[in-house]
Amino acid sequence: MPALIEAHDLTKRYGAHVALDRANLKVEPGRIVGLIGPNGAGKTSALRAILGLTTYEGQLTVLGREPYRDRTALMGECCFIADVAVLPSWLRVDQAIDFVGGVHPKFRRDRAVALLAKTQITGDRRMRELSKGMKTQVHLALTMAIDAKLLVLDEPTLGLDILARRAFYDALVNDYMDETRTILITTHQVEEVENLLTDVIFIDKGRIVLDSSLDDIATRFVAVSVAPDRLDAARAEKPFYERHILGKVVMYFENVTPEKLAAFGELHTPSVSDLFVARLSGGAA
Amino acid sequence: MNNSLWLIRREFWENRAIWLIPAVFGGLLIVAALFGHVDIPEVGSRPEARDVGGIFLIAFGLMFFVVMSVYSTWYLLDCLYADRKDRSILFWKSLPLSDTETVLSKLVVGMLVIPVVYFIAADVTSLLAAFILSIRARASLGSSLWQPDVWLQIQVLWLYAIVTSAIWYLPIAGWLLVVSAWAKRAVMLWSILPPLALCIIEKFLGTTVLWQILRQRLFGWPKVAVQGSIHRWAGDHVDPSEIPRSVWRLIDVSGFISNPQVWIGAAVGVALIVGAIQLRMRRTEI
Repeated sequence: MPALIEAHDLTKRYGAHVALDRANLKVEPGRIVGLIGPNGAGKTSALRAILGLTTYEGQLTVLGREPYRDRTALMGECCFIADVAVLPSWLRVDQAIDFVGGVHPKFRRDRAVALLAKTQITGDRRMRELSKGMKTQVHLALTMAIDAKLLVLDEPTLGLDILARRAFYDALVNDYMDETRTILITTHQVEEVENLLTDVIFIDKGRIVLDSSLDDIATRFVAVSVAPDRLDAARAEKPFYERHILGKVVMYFENVTPEKLAAFGELHTPSVSDLFVARLSGGAA
Repeated sequence: MNNSLWLIRREFWENRAIWLIPAVFGGLLIVAALFGHVDIPEVGSRPEARDVGGIFLIAFGLMFFVVMSVYSTWYLLDCLYADRKDRSILFWKSLPLSDTETVLSKLVVGMLVIPVVYFIAADVTSLLAAFILSIRARASLGSSLWQPDVWLQIQVLWLYAIVTSAIWYLPIAGWLLVVSAWAKRAVMLWSILPPLALCIIEKFLGTTVLWQILRQRLFGWPKVAVQGSIHRWAGDHVDPSEIPRSVWRLIDVSGFISNPQVWIGAAVGVALIVGAIQLRMRRTEI
């Protein structure tokens, strides 16, 4: 099966500033991929390029199309939520349903109506009257009613409280995700999404610093709580990051056999957020 | 086609002023007709009655036409900018609608749909006002405001004016759309200042070619599209002898079509619209 998104040497410049620097990435169908990076790392530039919202250098295909040249056709099979505040304030909920239903051949009106029926939101409300959380519910209902192969979410829960964020991701995983769909999420709040991702792509200063499935992460990376008397021996194995918490020292290793490391202390698989911090502040790659 | 209809419908949702302004303006004229001071000279002969009827309808039409020009200009200047300002462009672009369709829908609304809405409003208002005035001033007006053939001619004149002004003002509309798709703020200033600055620079160089072209484009439509000078018979001092007996004679289709200025301007307009579409494709940020 061909990759859903494939980028080779994807570069985006804004004048002298290079937002994306020869990035390579690949997203396979049926995955939930987190594109993770600090603010200003190039996440949004990468997404804008993938969604056909901007020009770029290098090669990029999304669902077999060139996004910038072919945005209209691409949007027939792919949808995105840029962030919570983009539904126009004058638009009424029923107008939004009518409009998307009118222009999108893959929109299933009954589904959108059913999803909204579960909320407190009525059709006669205008977006400006809704809270951020409610706007997100409307946008998600509109998007989930589209039979799309690829869903792209750019910081979808920015500015939402914890209840709304949880509801958002629960709806996404329970009511939307199945093996025919692929989701690409960008966020800088790693903890929030790490349990639902199947793959992660770390991006920093415009470059991809890690592109891996979570299964691979478990075999590739090991974190060790190193016993105080084994510090020097452990350092000899070249950990790429060292963390001191409450008198304990945790070291992160890549591609070192667990057997070797077991001698230094207790082993565990690093969480995505640990790895993210380790990878980006450790200065590896 | 289906998409275009939805896009036009969307403009009505977003810009309720499209119909609110002519409705309110028409309402004010009706109030004026109801309670205003009516001072109309006695109308004697039949040709004179026809003139009064014709002038009455044209005056109504012109008032709406002036308001419409101001609103349409504002609409075209704001339409693409507004999507970027509230970031809703990211929602519109998440739908399978091309930027070409989107920009053209706004052009069609600004140049044809809004004028047609005002045309209907002018018709309704003038009919109501004619009814009210002929009751209030029965003695002097008689039935002079009711001239079915003049009314029909005015309808044709209006449609002719809508089509010809849409073609004539295409370069202006194209420029407004370019500014609307491009400017980071102050669309009004950006639409006026660059051409004005060029004219001033040109003035220092000792020529006024650009200024002449701009003036001709902004104010030259009646001269190009309407036979005889519209100002002479619709101005403050109406000399009845100069009013054409038939409105048909105002329409100058062959003169308009054969005027090279019309088509050079239209070509410039098309180029600017293509530019606005390109800008809409790559500019999502304010």
